[in-house]
Formats: sequence, C-alpha cells, structure tokens
Amino acid sequence: MSAHLSFARFAWRNLWRRRFRTLLTLFGIGMAIAAFVALVGFSNSFESEWKRAYESSGTDIAVVQKTFLNTSVDESDGATLMKLPDVASISPMILNMMDLTPEVNALAFGWTADTYEFESLHFVSGGRFHDGKSEVILGELLAQNLNKQVGDTLDIQGTGFKVVGIFHGASALEEGAAILPLDELQEISSLQGKVTTFHVRLKPAPPGVSSEQYLKQAQGQIEAALPGLKAIPAAERAANNQLVGAAHAAAWGTSLIALIIGILGIANTMAMSVFERTREIGILRAIGWKRWNILLLIEFEATVLGFAGGILGIGFGVAALRLLSRLPQTASIVTSTIAPSLLIEAVFVAVLAGLLAGAVPAWRGAKLSPVEALRYE
Amino acid sequence: MSNPAKPGPILEACNLFKSYDEGRIEALREVSVSIQHGEFLAISGPSGSGKSTLLQLIGGLDAPTSGEVYFEGSLLGSAIDLDTYRAKHVGFVFQAFHLMPTLRAIENVQVPMLALKTSADDRVKRAETLLMEMGLENRMGQYPNQLSAGERQRVAIARALANSPSILVADEPTGNLDSVNSARIMEMLTGIQKKHGMTLIIVTHENDIAEMAPRHIRIRDGRVES
Repeated sequence: MSAHLSFARFAWRNLWRRRFRTLLTLFGIGMAIAAFVALVGFSNSFESEWKRAYESSGTDIAVVQKTFLNTSVDESDGATLMKLPDVASISPMILNMMDLTPEVNALAFGWTADTYEFESLHFVSGGRFHDGKSEVILGELLAQNLNKQVGDTLDIQGTGFKVVGIFHGASALEEGAAILPLDELQEISSLQGKVTTFHVRLKPAPPGVSSEQYLKQAQGQIEAALPGLKAIPAAERAANNQLVGAAHAAAWGTSLIALIIGILGIANTMAMSVFERTREIGILRAIGWKRWNILLLIEFEATVLGFAGGILGIGFGVAALRLLSRLPQTASIVTSTIAPSLLIEAVFVAVLAGLLAGAVPAWRGAKLSPVEALRYE
Repeated sequence: MSNPAKPGPILEACNLFKSYDEGRIEALREVSVSIQHGEFLAISGPSGSGKSTLLQLIGGLDAPTSGEVYFEGSLLGSAIDLDTYRAKHVGFVFQAFHLMPTLRAIENVQVPMLALKTSADDRVKRAETLLMEMGLENRMGQYPNQLSAGERQRVAIARALANSPSILVADEPTGNLDSVNSARIMEMLTGIQKKHGMTLIIVTHENDIAEMAPRHIRIRDGRVES
C-alpha cells in the first residue's frame, strides 16, 4: 500500500466509491465515443476510398452537374469536352448504388469498354466486357460475397448479366463494385443518353506552368465551354461527392446525439456525486481547500470519466469498424483502417465532454459555503 | 516544534453580530473576545446559545453580519482572505470527526496539505509523524470505518495539525466519545497546546471539559455572560 495521497488518487477514490454508477457512466460515454469513432471513421474511410479510386485511375477532373437535384449530364457533352485544348481523354460514366441481392448492395459503375479507367484494374480472371452486351465485371470482394465466377450469370434489375471478368481494384470501393457497359446501365437505369459524371484526363502541363495553375486553367475552359456543369479537381471531388457528404453528415449528426447523451450521463453522475458529498465538500473547505481546489477536484473526476470512457469507446469503435469492414453489406465501402488523427480527435472529444459535463456540478460544489455544507444532513 | 508566544492577541473579535433568515434569527449579539497567543480558551453554553456560531466566525468558516475579527492585527476577509486563513493558520476538530470515508488514516491527514502544495514526500512524512504522535503508528493504513471513535478523533486531530496552524479550534471534540476516550482526547489536545505553544479554543457544553481551560467564557442567547 502506498501511503502517498495525490490529487488524482483522491479523485479516483471518489469515483470508485460508487463503482457501479461509475462503470455505467463509463459505458455510456464509451458508447458515445465508440459511435463517434465508428461512424466518423466509416465516413472518413469512405472518403479516402474515393480518393484512392480517383488517384489510381489517373483522373484529373470530374465534370458534374452544378445543381444538387439534377445529377445527370448529357452524354453528348463529351464531344465538347474532347475539343478542349487541354483535355487528353474523357471517361463518361454512371455511378449508382444497387441492391444486387437482399443482403448485398454494391456500387455499380457504367463505363465504356474503351475507357482509360480499366488501366487501374488488374484482372484476376477473365477480361473486359463489350459495349452493348449484357456483361459485367466484378470486384474480387463482390465476387466473393456473391459467390460468382467468370461464366456465371448475375441478375441485375431483372436482366441477366454474364460475368466476364473478376478484377482486383486499387480501393475497397472498386473491390466491392460491379462494372457494366455504360449503355447497358443507361438502359436498366432509364438514363438513355445520360451520364452522371465525366472523368477527364488532361494533357501534360506545358513547361513553366505549375500543376495547380494548369488544373485551374482547365477547369475554367470546361466550365466556359459547358455552362451549367462544374469541373472539380479529382482530389476535391472525393470530399465533395454527394454520397461522401451524406455519410459525413450522418456520421457527425449521429455522433453528436450520442455525445450529448454521454455528456448528460457524466453530468448526472457528477451532480449526484456533488449532492451526496455536500458535507465532505464542507469539510474540505473547512480544512483549507479553496473554491478552485473543489472545482478542480470535481472537474478532474469528470475528465477522468471522459478520458477513460474515451479509451473504452475507441476500443469499441475500432472493433465496430473492423466488423463493418467484414460485413458483406458494408465491406465494399469501408476499410478497417483508422487514421491516428481520428483517435486523437476521439480522446480530445471525450476529455472535452468530461470537462463540459463536470462544469455545472463543479461550479455548484465550489460555491457551497463551508458552514452550510457542514450542516447538510 | 514549538511556537514562541508572541506579544498581543492572536485573535480579536470586535462587536460580532450574526443573524440568519434575513435578521429574524439573531445567533450572536455584540460579542467581543480577545484571545492571546498560546492561550487555552473554553467557550461553553447551552444548545443554541451561539457558541458554535462564535467558533465559526473566529475560525473563518463564516463572516459576521457586522463586526470584525482580526488575526494578528489583520482583518479577516479583507487583509487576509478566509480560505487562506483556514488553510494556513487554523486547524479544525469536529464532534463527528468528519474524516473522508474513502481514504485511509494516513491519507486523511494529508488532505489539508494538498491545498498548500506541500511536496508528496513531505506530506507522507508529516502525516506519519503526526499519527505516531497520536499513538496510531499501527493504524495508519486503516479506513475510518475500521477505527474506533477515539482513534478517529485522534486521526482528525492529526489532520487539524497537518499544516502547522497557530490556532486549534475544536467544536465539541469529546461529544461522541465515552469518558475514557474523552479524557484521552483532552489530554492530547492540552498536551499539543503546551508542546507547540498553540492557541487552543474548545467549544463544549460539558462543564468539566470547560473547567480544564485556564480561561472560560460562557455564552447565552448570543451574548457573552462571563
């Protein structure tokens, strides 16, 4: 037994006095932080997979509709794009989320058979599809989840598509995607003559022009030639992607609700603790503790709850993300990789939650008069 | 360690008036007391007489409604704030011991020292010395609920001495003890007062305890009787 009493040990003994309540509170804030880590980690991972997909394909600019509601673009605009001086090649495409089976949903891409996008794929078996034919190629992960091989038929929206290739993609998004001929996807999606995006590869930048300047110049050219459309650098497109935006919003919104519940849990525990320890606070004040000593003690206890809950939550969150990255429903859009910055953010959020939750109880404890507190029964 | 007695009063209470409930209850009326360095003073009176209120005012736990309390010539609450006064100059002993239930005896004694940023090693050494002085060298690791009432009060006295105060204030220190333990606690308090040259102020309603003090003031209805 150590005879040494520190401020931290005193705080810990106070928390451990009501073990069950402390553990329940830890569990509450832990769940909130777990939701934060899992959901924000999920949406971040989703975004980084998009980034990886763009980077691997060598796309410089994505051309999309300016408006949020109308997301389709005339395929004929491709001809205008190809006439622009800085454009080397374009890839018209459709992107859609599809339920392939009741359990498995996947990103479905519509590409032309001659698109440069194929360069980033490595075929494990089979090869490219042909335009105008009911053929499909599957990412390795999706093929595994659907238990399909080259030669099998996959039913998509009532049409049988022959699996002609299985590929290994550069990102989890591609690994879990189905890629169909553009014209076939247009037909089954009732989007004849329409695409959702043009991916654009630029010619090499002229000497003396920086890549940023060149990119801006090309953006300007495209937007001038096609008013109503927006040219977005590929790296930004990953973050601006509507699906990514929705994932981020849902993740932060849900996490915020969970965090508010967690904060209320700690605040309730600390308020009860201050109420139960009113007389003890009076004793501390009588034997020389100043108001700020009391404030610090209660805030410290709340912060310990926040921090410990944060660590617990990170454990749960990482486990949840690992699970999501293995589930067939979500494996195609998320990996289990978590950026260290998210973990630091989670600890920061947890400690901040503790501080916020402890503020009112600490203030109430600190303003108790020693005489009133000592009289408290 | 003993404090050489300084000339002049250590505490001077002038015309203290304390009321509660917006003046409807008058606990103290025009009380003036002067207490010398190293003095042992007993304050007695029946329940509700105002003796504990007087102790709270001169112990810096509360401020008077009117009147002043001076510590070594400095006005409490003005020249010296009440928190600092309680932390550095006053040690409290309560009737109900008021130990922290989650802390062992040796940890309880260290609690006041946490407020003064005494180093960790010094805190432990000081707590060990005080508990040995109280005859509790074998009870240092016990929690309050593992100690007898007399032992708890001795831990409380050790805690009151932790920051080496010049005034020891005891509110009914033997109120929860049997006669044997009462005698022992009084022996300890007077021994400490003599050994350290401290000022000892005891509030009691027991005459035999009050008569142990060389000076004894009686309070009735909020006024000093003698």
